[in-house]
Amino acid sequence: MTDVEARDNTLRDTEIEMEVPAAGEYLSVLRTAAAGLAARMNFTLDDIEDLRIAVDEASSMLLAQANPGSRLQCRFVLGEDAVTFCASVRSRQPHLPSKEGFAWTVLTALASSVDVRLSEPDLLTIELTRQRPGAQG
Amino acid sequence: MDATSSSHENGSPSARLPLSAPAGDDPRAASRAALVALARLDEDSPLRAQLREQLVRANLPLVEHLARRFANRGEPLDDLTQVGTIGLLKAIDRFAPDRGVEFSTYATPTIVGEIKRHFRDRGWSIRVPRRLQEMRLSLSAATGELTQQLGRSPTVAEIADWMHVSQDVILEGLESANAYSTISLDAQDHPGADDGPSMMDTLGEIDAELGHVEYRASLRPLLAELDPRDRQILVLRFFHGWTQSQIAAEIGMSQMHVSRLLSRTLARLRVGLSRD
Repeated sequence: MTDVEARDNTLRDTEIEMEVPAAGEYLSVLRTAAAGLAARMNFTLDDIEDLRIAVDEASSMLLAQANPGSRLQCRFVLGEDAVTFCASVRSRQPHLPSKEGFAWTVLTALASSVDVRLSEPDLLTIELTRQRPGAQG
Repeated sequence: MDATSSSHENGSPSARLPLSAPAGDDPRAASRAALVALARLDEDSPLRAQLREQLVRANLPLVEHLARRFANRGEPLDDLTQVGTIGLLKAIDRFAPDRGVEFSTYATPTIVGEIKRHFRDRGWSIRVPRRLQEMRLSLSAATGELTQQLGRSPTVAEIADWMHVSQDVILEGLESANAYSTISLDAQDHPGADDGPSMMDTLGEIDAELGHVEYRASLRPLLAELDPRDRQILVLRFFHGWTQSQIAAEIGMSQMHVSRLLSRTLARLRVGLSRD
Protein backbone atom coordinates (compact mmCIF):
# COMPACT_ATOMS: atom_id res chain seq x y z
CA MET A 1 0.00 0.00 0.00
CA THR A 2 1.11 3.48 -0.75
CA ASP A 3 1.39 6.18 1.83
CA VAL A 4 -0.35 9.13 0.25
CA GLU A 5 1.14 11.80 2.44
CA ALA A 6 4.64 10.59 1.86
CA ARG A 7 4.08 10.57 -1.86
CA ASP A 8 2.54 13.99 -1.79
CA ASN A 9 5.50 15.43 -0.02
CA THR A 10 7.96 14.00 -2.45
CA LEU A 11 5.93 15.26 -5.38
CA ARG A 12 5.25 18.83 -4.29
CA ASP A 13 7.10 21.40 -6.34
CA THR A 14 8.33 18.68 -8.54
CA GLU A 15 8.80 18.88 -12.26
CA ILE A 16 8.21 15.99 -14.57
CA GLU A 17 9.36 16.32 -18.13
CA MET A 18 8.24 14.18 -21.00
CA GLU A 19 8.83 14.27 -24.70
CA VAL A 20 6.81 12.24 -27.16
CA PRO A 21 6.54 12.17 -30.93
CA ALA A 22 4.09 14.83 -32.08
CA ALA A 23 1.46 12.32 -33.12
CA GLY A 24 -1.98 11.53 -31.79
CA GLU A 25 -1.23 7.99 -30.70
CA TYR A 26 1.09 9.25 -27.97
CA LEU A 27 -1.47 11.49 -26.32
CA SER A 28 -2.69 8.64 -24.17
CA VAL A 29 0.70 8.61 -22.47
CA LEU A 30 0.24 12.25 -21.50
CA ARG A 31 -3.34 11.74 -20.38
CA THR A 32 -2.28 8.85 -18.19
CA ALA A 33 0.55 10.86 -16.68
CA ALA A 34 -1.79 13.77 -16.01
CA ALA A 35 -4.34 11.58 -14.26
CA GLY A 36 -1.72 9.73 -12.24
CA LEU A 37 -0.07 12.90 -11.03
CA ALA A 38 -3.34 14.62 -10.21
CA ALA A 39 -4.53 11.59 -8.28
CA ARG A 40 -1.41 11.66 -6.19
CA MET A 41 -1.96 15.33 -5.52
CA ASN A 42 -5.22 14.24 -3.92
CA PHE A 43 -7.34 15.81 -6.61
CA THR A 44 -10.95 14.70 -6.79
CA LEU A 45 -12.15 12.60 -9.72
CA ASP A 46 -13.83 15.67 -11.19
CA ASP A 47 -10.52 17.51 -11.17
CA ILE A 48 -8.59 14.52 -12.44
CA GLU A 49 -10.88 13.95 -15.37
CA ASP A 50 -10.99 17.64 -16.23
CA LEU A 51 -7.22 17.78 -16.23
CA ARG A 52 -7.06 14.67 -18.34
CA ILE A 53 -9.36 16.18 -20.94
CA ALA A 54 -7.58 19.54 -20.80
CA VAL A 55 -4.20 17.91 -21.47
CA ASP A 56 -5.74 16.05 -24.37
CA GLU A 57 -7.31 19.18 -25.82
CA ALA A 58 -4.21 21.37 -25.43
CA SER A 59 -1.94 18.73 -26.89
CA SER A 60 -4.29 18.18 -29.81
CA MET A 61 -4.26 21.89 -30.56
CA LEU A 62 -0.49 21.81 -30.70
CA LEU A 63 -0.31 18.64 -32.77
CA ALA A 64 -2.46 20.27 -35.42
CA GLN A 65 0.36 22.76 -35.98
CA ALA A 66 3.44 20.66 -35.28
CA ASN A 67 6.07 20.13 -37.93
CA PRO A 68 5.95 16.62 -39.35
CA GLY A 69 8.22 14.26 -37.48
CA SER A 70 8.75 16.72 -34.65
CA ARG A 71 8.38 16.21 -30.91
CA LEU A 72 5.89 17.37 -28.34
CA GLN A 73 7.76 18.60 -25.29
CA CYS A 74 5.80 18.54 -22.06
CA ARG A 75 6.35 19.49 -18.49
CA PHE A 76 4.15 18.89 -15.49
CA VAL A 77 4.77 21.07 -12.47
CA LEU A 78 3.25 19.94 -9.21
CA GLY A 79 2.69 22.87 -6.94
CA GLU A 80 1.17 23.16 -3.51
CA ASP A 81 -2.42 22.94 -4.69
CA ALA A 82 -2.19 22.92 -8.45
CA VAL A 83 -0.86 21.01 -11.39
CA THR A 84 0.56 22.90 -14.33
CA PHE A 85 0.91 21.33 -17.73
CA CYS A 86 3.12 23.06 -20.23
CA ALA A 87 3.54 21.73 -23.76
CA SER A 88 5.40 23.00 -26.82
CA VAL A 89 5.86 22.11 -30.45
CA ARG A 90 7.91 23.47 -33.31
CA SER A 91 5.72 24.81 -36.03
CA ARG A 92 6.67 26.20 -39.44
CA GLN A 93 3.63 28.40 -39.67
CA PRO A 94 2.58 28.90 -36.10
CA HIS A 95 -0.56 30.79 -35.31
CA LEU A 96 -1.89 31.49 -31.89
CA PRO A 97 -5.23 29.81 -31.28
CA SER A 98 -8.03 32.33 -31.13
CA LYS A 99 -9.24 33.06 -27.64
CA GLU A 100 -12.73 33.35 -29.05
CA GLY A 101 -12.54 29.86 -30.52
CA PHE A 102 -14.30 26.76 -29.35
CA ALA A 103 -11.16 24.89 -28.33
CA TRP A 104 -10.11 27.81 -26.19
CA THR A 105 -13.53 27.98 -24.58
CA VAL A 106 -13.19 24.32 -23.71
CA LEU A 107 -9.71 24.79 -22.27
CA THR A 108 -10.69 27.71 -20.09
CA ALA A 109 -13.62 25.73 -18.73
CA LEU A 110 -11.36 22.82 -17.85
CA ALA A 111 -8.37 24.69 -16.44
CA SER A 112 -8.08 27.39 -13.84
CA SER A 113 -5.81 29.35 -16.13
CA VAL A 114 -4.58 28.92 -19.69
CA ASP A 115 -1.93 30.73 -21.63
CA VAL A 116 -0.60 30.36 -25.14
CA ARG A 117 2.58 31.95 -26.45
CA LEU A 118 4.99 31.95 -29.31
CA SER A 119 8.63 32.08 -28.34
CA GLU A 120 11.53 31.98 -30.72
CA PRO A 121 10.14 32.13 -34.21
CA ASP A 122 8.56 28.72 -34.21
CA LEU A 123 8.03 27.41 -30.69
CA LEU A 124 4.35 27.32 -29.84
CA THR A 125 3.53 26.72 -26.20
CA ILE A 126 0.32 26.17 -24.28
CA GLU A 127 0.43 26.27 -20.52
CA LEU A 128 -2.47 25.44 -18.32
CA THR A 129 -2.96 25.13 -14.60
CA ARG A 130 -5.61 23.26 -12.72
CA GLN A 131 -6.07 24.42 -9.15
CA ARG A 132 -7.45 22.08 -6.62
CA PRO A 133 -10.77 23.59 -5.65
CA GLY A 134 -11.49 23.63 -1.95
CA ALA A 135 -7.79 23.41 -1.30
CA GLN A 136 -8.28 25.48 1.81
CA GLY A 137 -10.50 22.78 3.18
CA MET B 1 -43.32 -33.43 -50.32
CA ASP B 2 -40.06 -35.09 -49.60
CA ALA B 3 -36.85 -33.53 -48.50
CA THR B 4 -35.34 -33.69 -51.94
CA SER B 5 -37.93 -31.60 -53.68
CA SER B 6 -37.99 -29.05 -50.92
CA SER B 7 -34.39 -28.23 -51.65
CA HIS B 8 -35.37 -26.45 -54.84
CA GLU B 9 -34.79 -22.82 -54.09
CA ASN B 10 -37.67 -21.47 -56.05
CA GLY B 11 -40.26 -24.06 -55.37
CA SER B 12 -43.63 -22.76 -54.38
CA PRO B 13 -43.58 -22.33 -50.63
CA SER B 14 -47.21 -23.21 -50.24
CA ALA B 15 -46.51 -26.62 -51.65
CA ARG B 16 -44.40 -27.37 -48.64
CA LEU B 17 -46.97 -26.60 -46.05
CA PRO B 18 -48.02 -27.45 -43.54
CA LEU B 19 -46.55 -27.51 -40.22
CA SER B 20 -44.16 -30.32 -39.82
CA ALA B 21 -41.92 -28.81 -42.37
CA PRO B 22 -39.73 -31.56 -43.64
CA ALA B 23 -36.88 -32.17 -41.27
CA GLY B 24 -34.91 -33.10 -44.31
CA ASP B 25 -31.37 -32.52 -45.43
CA ASP B 26 -31.90 -28.89 -46.31
CA PRO B 27 -32.42 -26.89 -43.15
CA ARG B 28 -32.85 -23.72 -45.16
CA ALA B 29 -35.82 -25.07 -47.03
CA ALA B 30 -37.25 -26.46 -43.83
CA SER B 31 -36.77 -23.09 -42.26
CA ARG B 32 -38.45 -21.33 -45.13
CA ALA B 33 -41.43 -23.61 -45.00
CA ALA B 34 -41.78 -23.07 -41.28
CA LEU B 35 -41.56 -19.30 -41.74
CA VAL B 36 -44.29 -19.33 -44.33
CA ALA B 37 -46.42 -21.45 -42.08
CA LEU B 38 -45.78 -19.18 -39.15
CA ALA B 39 -46.71 -16.08 -41.10
CA ARG B 40 -50.06 -17.61 -41.91
CA LEU B 41 -50.97 -18.60 -38.41
CA ASP B 42 -53.25 -16.54 -36.25
CA GLU B 43 -51.60 -14.49 -33.52
CA ASP B 44 -52.91 -16.73 -30.81
CA SER B 45 -52.51 -20.06 -32.48
CA PRO B 46 -51.05 -22.68 -30.14
CA LEU B 47 -48.91 -23.91 -32.99
CA ARG B 48 -46.85 -20.72 -33.04
CA ALA B 49 -44.67 -21.74 -30.12
CA GLN B 50 -43.87 -25.04 -31.76
CA LEU B 51 -42.91 -23.43 -35.05
CA ARG B 52 -40.84 -20.75 -33.42
CA GLU B 53 -38.92 -23.31 -31.48
CA GLN B 54 -38.30 -25.28 -34.62
CA LEU B 55 -37.08 -22.14 -36.35
CA VAL B 56 -34.81 -21.17 -33.50
CA ARG B 57 -33.22 -24.61 -33.55
CA ALA B 58 -32.78 -24.49 -37.30
CA ASN B 59 -31.13 -21.07 -37.23
CA LEU B 60 -29.02 -21.47 -34.13
CA PRO B 61 -25.87 -22.05 -36.19
CA LEU B 62 -26.33 -18.60 -37.70
CA VAL B 63 -26.59 -17.04 -34.23
CA GLU B 64 -23.55 -18.95 -33.05
CA HIS B 65 -21.61 -17.87 -36.07
CA LEU B 66 -22.46 -14.21 -35.49
CA ALA B 67 -21.83 -14.45 -31.75
CA ARG B 68 -18.36 -15.79 -32.38
CA ARG B 69 -17.54 -12.60 -34.22
CA PHE B 70 -17.92 -10.82 -30.90
CA ALA B 71 -16.10 -13.40 -28.82
CA ASN B 72 -12.97 -12.34 -26.90
CA ARG B 73 -14.45 -8.96 -26.24
CA GLY B 74 -15.05 -9.51 -22.61
CA GLU B 75 -18.39 -11.29 -22.69
CA PRO B 76 -18.86 -15.07 -22.50
CA LEU B 77 -19.83 -16.64 -25.81
CA ASP B 78 -22.82 -18.32 -24.18
CA ASP B 79 -24.24 -14.96 -23.17
CA LEU B 80 -23.73 -13.61 -26.66
CA THR B 81 -25.44 -16.60 -28.20
CA GLN B 82 -28.30 -16.14 -25.79
CA VAL B 83 -28.88 -12.47 -26.59
CA GLY B 84 -28.35 -13.25 -30.26
CA THR B 85 -31.18 -15.74 -29.97
CA ILE B 86 -33.44 -12.97 -28.73
CA GLY B 87 -32.59 -11.15 -31.95
CA LEU B 88 -33.34 -14.30 -33.88
CA LEU B 89 -36.77 -14.55 -32.26
CA LYS B 90 -37.53 -10.95 -33.15
CA ALA B 91 -36.51 -11.65 -36.72
CA ILE B 92 -38.67 -14.76 -36.83
CA ASP B 93 -41.70 -12.82 -35.63
CA ARG B 94 -41.19 -9.94 -38.02
CA PHE B 95 -40.12 -11.79 -41.13
CA ALA B 96 -42.42 -11.49 -44.13
CA PRO B 97 -41.79 -14.49 -46.38
CA ASP B 98 -43.41 -12.85 -49.39
CA ARG B 99 -40.80 -10.10 -49.60
CA GLY B 100 -38.42 -12.43 -51.38
CA VAL B 101 -35.52 -11.88 -48.99
CA GLU B 102 -33.56 -14.79 -47.58
CA PHE B 103 -34.30 -15.20 -43.91
CA SER B 104 -30.62 -15.27 -42.97
CA THR B 105 -30.12 -11.97 -44.78
CA TYR B 106 -33.04 -10.50 -42.94
CA ALA B 107 -32.12 -11.89 -39.54
CA THR B 108 -28.41 -11.10 -39.48
CA PRO B 109 -28.67 -7.36 -38.69
CA THR B 110 -31.32 -8.03 -36.06
CA ILE B 111 -29.15 -10.62 -34.35
CA VAL B 112 -26.02 -8.49 -34.55
CA GLY B 113 -28.01 -5.51 -33.30
CA GLU B 114 -29.12 -7.45 -30.27
CA ILE B 115 -25.57 -8.54 -29.51
CA LYS B 116 -24.28 -5.00 -29.80
CA ARG B 117 -27.07 -3.79 -27.59
CA HIS B 118 -25.97 -6.29 -25.01
CA PHE B 119 -22.53 -4.67 -24.94
CA ARG B 120 -24.14 -1.28 -24.64
CA ASP B 121 -26.46 -2.36 -21.87
CA ARG B 122 -23.53 -3.72 -19.99
CA GLY B 123 -22.22 -0.17 -20.16
CA TRP B 124 -19.16 -1.51 -21.76
CA SER B 125 -17.51 -1.46 -25.09
CA ILE B 126 -15.47 -4.29 -26.39
CA ARG B 127 -12.19 -6.11 -25.95
CA VAL B 128 -12.05 -5.41 -22.27
CA PRO B 129 -10.89 -8.05 -19.83
CA ARG B 130 -13.59 -9.09 -17.41
CA ARG B 131 -11.47 -8.20 -14.41
CA LEU B 132 -11.31 -4.60 -15.57
CA GLN B 133 -15.00 -4.50 -16.33
CA GLU B 134 -15.77 -5.57 -12.81
CA MET B 135 -13.31 -3.05 -11.50
CA ARG B 136 -15.01 -0.33 -13.45
CA LEU B 137 -18.42 -1.26 -12.15
CA SER B 138 -17.21 -1.26 -8.54
CA LEU B 139 -15.45 2.03 -9.12
CA SER B 140 -18.56 3.53 -10.53
CA ALA B 141 -20.63 2.39 -7.57
CA ALA B 142 -18.07 3.56 -5.01
CA THR B 143 -17.75 6.94 -6.69
CA GLY B 144 -21.49 7.46 -6.70
CA GLU B 145 -21.81 6.47 -3.07
CA LEU B 146 -18.90 8.63 -1.91
CA THR B 147 -20.06 11.61 -3.95
CA GLN B 148 -23.32 11.48 -2.08
CA GLN B 149 -21.70 11.06 1.30
CA LEU B 150 -19.12 13.77 0.82
CA GLY B 151 -21.22 16.18 -1.19
CA ARG B 152 -18.38 16.39 -3.72
CA SER B 153 -16.42 14.19 -6.02
CA PRO B 154 -14.09 11.85 -4.07
CA THR B 155 -10.33 11.61 -4.38
CA VAL B 156 -8.55 8.48 -5.49
CA ALA B 157 -7.30 7.98 -1.93
CA GLU B 158 -10.85 8.10 -0.60
CA ILE B 159 -12.09 5.58 -3.14
CA ALA B 160 -9.14 3.31 -2.39
CA ASP B 161 -9.93 3.42 1.33
CA TRP B 162 -13.58 2.74 0.68
CA MET B 163 -12.87 -0.23 -1.55
CA HIS B 164 -9.97 -1.52 0.55
CA VAL B 165 -7.60 -1.60 -2.36
CA SER B 166 -4.48 0.37 -3.21
CA GLN B 167 -4.60 3.66 -5.06
CA ASP B 168 -2.76 2.07 -7.92
CA VAL B 169 -5.62 -0.34 -8.42
CA ILE B 170 -8.07 2.58 -8.58
CA LEU B 171 -5.87 4.41 -11.03
CA GLU B 172 -5.61 1.36 -13.21
CA GLY B 173 -9.38 1.08 -13.18
CA LEU B 174 -9.85 4.73 -14.13
CA GLU B 175 -7.28 4.36 -16.84
CA SER B 176 -8.87 1.33 -18.40
CA ALA B 177 -12.29 2.95 -18.28
CA ASN B 178 -10.90 5.81 -20.32
CA ALA B 179 -8.63 3.84 -22.57
CA TYR B 180 -11.31 1.51 -23.79
CA SER B 181 -13.89 4.16 -24.37
CA THR B 182 -12.38 5.05 -27.71
CA ILE B 183 -13.45 1.76 -29.21
CA SER B 184 -16.83 1.86 -27.62
CA LEU B 185 -19.89 0.70 -29.47
CA ASP B 186 -21.47 3.96 -28.53
CA ALA B 187 -21.69 2.72 -24.98
CA GLN B 188 -24.27 3.86 -22.51
CA ASP B 189 -24.48 3.23 -18.81
CA HIS B 190 -28.06 2.11 -18.97
CA PRO B 191 -30.86 2.35 -21.46
CA GLY B 192 -32.86 4.72 -19.29
CA ALA B 193 -30.17 7.30 -19.77
CA ASP B 194 -31.17 8.02 -23.33
CA ASP B 195 -34.58 9.19 -22.34
CA GLY B 196 -32.61 12.27 -22.84
CA PRO B 197 -32.16 15.73 -21.63
CA SER B 198 -35.26 17.64 -20.85
CA MET B 199 -33.87 21.10 -20.65
CA MET B 200 -31.98 23.26 -23.00
CA ASP B 201 -32.08 20.86 -25.79
CA THR B 202 -32.65 23.03 -28.77
CA LEU B 203 -29.96 24.36 -31.00
CA GLY B 204 -31.42 27.82 -30.67
CA GLU B 205 -30.48 27.84 -27.04
CA ILE B 206 -27.03 26.56 -27.86
CA ASP B 207 -26.63 29.42 -30.31
CA ALA B 208 -27.15 31.81 -27.45
CA GLU B 209 -24.50 30.01 -25.46
CA LEU B 210 -22.12 30.11 -28.37
CA GLY B 211 -22.64 33.83 -28.80
CA HIS B 212 -19.04 34.71 -28.20
CA VAL B 213 -17.49 31.74 -29.82
CA GLU B 214 -15.88 32.02 -33.21
CA TYR B 215 -16.50 29.37 -35.80
CA ARG B 216 -20.07 29.28 -34.71
CA ALA B 217 -21.06 28.67 -38.30
CA SER B 218 -18.86 25.60 -38.64
CA LEU B 219 -19.55 24.39 -35.14
CA ARG B 220 -23.29 24.53 -35.37
CA PRO B 221 -23.82 21.74 -37.90
CA LEU B 222 -21.42 19.54 -35.95
CA LEU B 223 -23.37 20.16 -32.78
CA ALA B 224 -26.58 19.43 -34.62
CA GLU B 225 -25.25 15.99 -35.51
CA LEU B 226 -24.52 15.11 -31.91
CA ASP B 227 -26.74 12.93 -29.83
CA PRO B 228 -28.92 15.39 -27.86
CA ARG B 229 -27.61 14.02 -24.61
CA ASP B 230 -23.98 14.42 -25.67
CA ARG B 231 -24.79 17.95 -26.72
CA GLN B 232 -26.38 18.74 -23.43
CA ILE B 233 -23.42 17.38 -21.49
CA LEU B 234 -21.08 19.46 -23.61
CA VAL B 235 -23.01 22.66 -23.06
CA LEU B 236 -23.48 22.11 -19.33
CA ARG B 237 -19.79 21.46 -18.83
CA PHE B 238 -18.24 24.05 -21.09
CA PHE B 239 -20.75 26.86 -21.22
CA HIS B 240 -22.56 26.57 -17.92
CA GLY B 241 -19.58 25.49 -15.86
CA TRP B 242 -21.22 22.49 -14.24
CA THR B 243 -18.88 19.88 -12.82
CA GLN B 244 -18.86 16.38 -14.22
CA SER B 245 -20.40 15.10 -11.00
CA GLN B 246 -23.24 17.58 -11.20
CA ILE B 247 -23.93 16.59 -14.79
CA ALA B 248 -23.75 12.92 -13.82
CA ALA B 249 -26.35 13.43 -11.10
CA GLU B 250 -28.60 15.44 -13.38
CA ILE B 251 -28.54 12.99 -16.25
CA GLY B 252 -28.42 9.84 -14.18
CA MET B 253 -25.15 8.26 -15.17
CA SER B 254 -21.76 7.82 -13.55
CA GLN B 255 -19.25 10.64 -13.49
CA MET B 256 -16.76 8.41 -15.27
CA HIS B 257 -19.24 7.98 -18.05
CA VAL B 258 -19.76 11.72 -18.33
CA SER B 259 -16.02 12.09 -18.64
CA ARG B 260 -15.82 9.52 -21.40
CA LEU B 261 -18.69 11.06 -23.32
CA LEU B 262 -17.11 14.51 -23.04
CA SER B 263 -13.80 13.23 -24.35
CA ARG B 264 -15.50 11.49 -27.19
CA THR B 265 -17.60 14.48 -28.14
CA LEU B 266 -14.58 16.78 -28.11
CA ALA B 267 -12.64 14.38 -30.30
CA ARG B 268 -15.50 14.30 -32.78
CA LEU B 269 -15.78 18.06 -32.88
CA ARG B 270 -12.03 18.36 -33.35
CA VAL B 271 -12.12 16.11 -36.35
CA GLY B 272 -15.11 17.95 -37.74
CA LEU B 273 -13.66 21.41 -37.24
CA SER B 274 -10.31 20.48 -38.73
CA ARG B 275 -12.05 19.43 -41.91
CA ASP B 276 -12.90 23.01 -42.79
